[in-house]
Amino acid sequence: MGILSFMADFIDSLAKRHRLLPWLLAYALLLPLPFVLTILFNEYLIDLANRICLFILLAVGLNIVKGFCGQVTVGHIGLYAIGAVTSAVLSLEPGGFGGALGFGWPIWAAIPTAVLVTAFAGLIIGLPSVRLEGAYLALATLGLGESVRIFIAVTPALGSSTGLMMIPAPRIGSFVFDSFTSYYYLVMTAAITGIYFSFSILRSATGRAFQAIREDTIAASVNGINVVKYKLLAFVLSAIYAGLAGALFAHMPPGYLHHNNFTVIEMVTLLLMVVLGGIGNVWGGVIGAIVVAIAYDQTKDLVFYFMDRPIVFQPLVFGLSMVLLVLFMPRGIGGWIEDFQRNRRFVRRSEERLSGTARNP
Amino acid sequence: MALLETRNLSKSFGGLQAINNVSLKVEPNTVHGLIGPNGSGKSTFFNLLTGVYQPDAGSYIEFDNINVTGKPAHYIAEHGLSRTFQLLRLYGELSVLDNVLVGYHPHTKYSPFAPFFNGAEVRRQDKIVKDEMFELLEFIGLAEHAEIPAAELSGGQRRLLALGRAIAMRPKMLLLDEPGAGLSPVNVDNLMATIMTLKERYKLTIVVVEHILKVVMSTCDTISVLDHGQKISEGTPEFVKNDPAVIEAYLGREMADEDIRAAMDA
Repeated sequence: MGILSFMADFIDSLAKRHRLLPWLLAYALLLPLPFVLTILFNEYLIDLANRICLFILLAVGLNIVKGFCGQVTVGHIGLYAIGAVTSAVLSLEPGGFGGALGFGWPIWAAIPTAVLVTAFAGLIIGLPSVRLEGAYLALATLGLGESVRIFIAVTPALGSSTGLMMIPAPRIGSFVFDSFTSYYYLVMTAAITGIYFSFSILRSATGRAFQAIREDTIAASVNGINVVKYKLLAFVLSAIYAGLAGALFAHMPPGYLHHNNFTVIEMVTLLLMVVLGGIGNVWGGVIGAIVVAIAYDQTKDLVFYFMDRPIVFQPLVFGLSMVLLVLFMPRGIGGWIEDFQRNRRFVRRSEERLSGTARNP
Repeated sequence: MALLETRNLSKSFGGLQAINNVSLKVEPNTVHGLIGPNGSGKSTFFNLLTGVYQPDAGSYIEFDNINVTGKPAHYIAEHGLSRTFQLLRLYGELSVLDNVLVGYHPHTKYSPFAPFFNGAEVRRQDKIVKDEMFELLEFIGLAEHAEIPAAELSGGQRRLLALGRAIAMRPKMLLLDEPGAGLSPVNVDNLMATIMTLKERYKLTIVVVEHILKVVMSTCDTISVLDHGQKISEGTPEFVKNDPAVIEAYLGREMADEDIRAAMDA
């Protein structure tokens, strides 16, 4: 606790000087990561770091709709797929491999368009939330999300079973983001910016409206919150995150996209991140994304042999850990973070009261 | 000119006629009591006024010269009609300050997307609003608990917070659904004193549903009595107290006059 308190004090003192200082510090600390990873381990881990950044974007986005607004959605991975495929197809050259569609757009036009398309798709996935709640809403969104994947899987123009290949890498001038290391700076910047804006939303009237809907929908409507509008807005905002993550995934080296990246298993992994992180807590979601992505990556090749037949037991372990988490750690890592922050606030206020300098927060 | 007026307000749930042709006027700057035995339709009446339930065809509700019949709850709230709930319905996990900030929501001036495009403006406005809401919390005596989650307040503090949240939107009219439920007699008196100060301070018109007749009799200018979804009596506290129809609804026909007086004064 001593080290944590020291760090928290340090971050507070930085934030007091300027709101953005802690963020810039975090950014600066993350800059040398690819070199550290290459020296200590191997270059493959940079690819893992890139995927973790995308998962952070996804988890932070999912947290907006599920954590802040309390709407259970299992269609998030479908939005990720829409963002990825849209950006890939828009930027591919026409007449590509295997009958894939291609429009030959510049990448910096394709990515924002893909985000907008995904935002619109988020609106559609959010429509059932107007009438449905809880498990029923989960079922409806699951159906919508999975139908996106199946549609991609059976449509040759979108890659079908072979996938989309040779998706171009982004470039600025003559600099091309086609290596793990260069792409890392792209996705890491996106992840940090995503986390920052998620806090901006949470701390505005928009975020408070989301949370009011989560806590008590009827009270929220009587307090003048247009519940339908804000529910859909939460879906749209989370879709913007998913669309950006998807588009960045499509152009990530080696520029290959397959519908297997958008299965229900991926969705469960994503849910696991948010649940482990603590539903509604932004930093918890980020830590959850890092932990689960590493665990997922390190266990995916584990097999044991039963009567000489290989059995991949990763899905079992992940399913089981989800159940155990919900049973024994319902507030997740975020619960610890919140307890820690509240203790600090309590101590600080007590000190202020004792010294007679209590102030308006 | 009445601030709130209902004409032929009706609501049925399946075969149950919860509210039956109630016409009512509430004059500005008054305290209007709404009483009636359990199940007489008081809460349903509030839910109809605030748009939580939609009224049956033929009903008409006018608030502040606007027809609000069948309008959604947030629309009615935006026009200055606020309420509390019998079961409070606080946002338990949100801090006390955030609870009143949500109450202020209809007056938010920036767009929901502003956190993305104009963070500085959001912070500037939120700072002003937070100071204002903090003053409100100081006034109702919850300022020192501003940062703790609402769920951790005591029962009496929660009732105060529910009141604060309803007032945060600067309403023209406030509907109070059993503000004193579950409080000791002393606390009820304190709460009613707070409510009356708030009424003066914020120039409110109040409609109050309350079971504690002593409270209603002492604070209300006009009282309407509901029974089985119908308005059976209306007038000054003195008039209602002595109306045979009211006495019958509450106590039945058999009881002696003195018993009734005793019950009313209790």
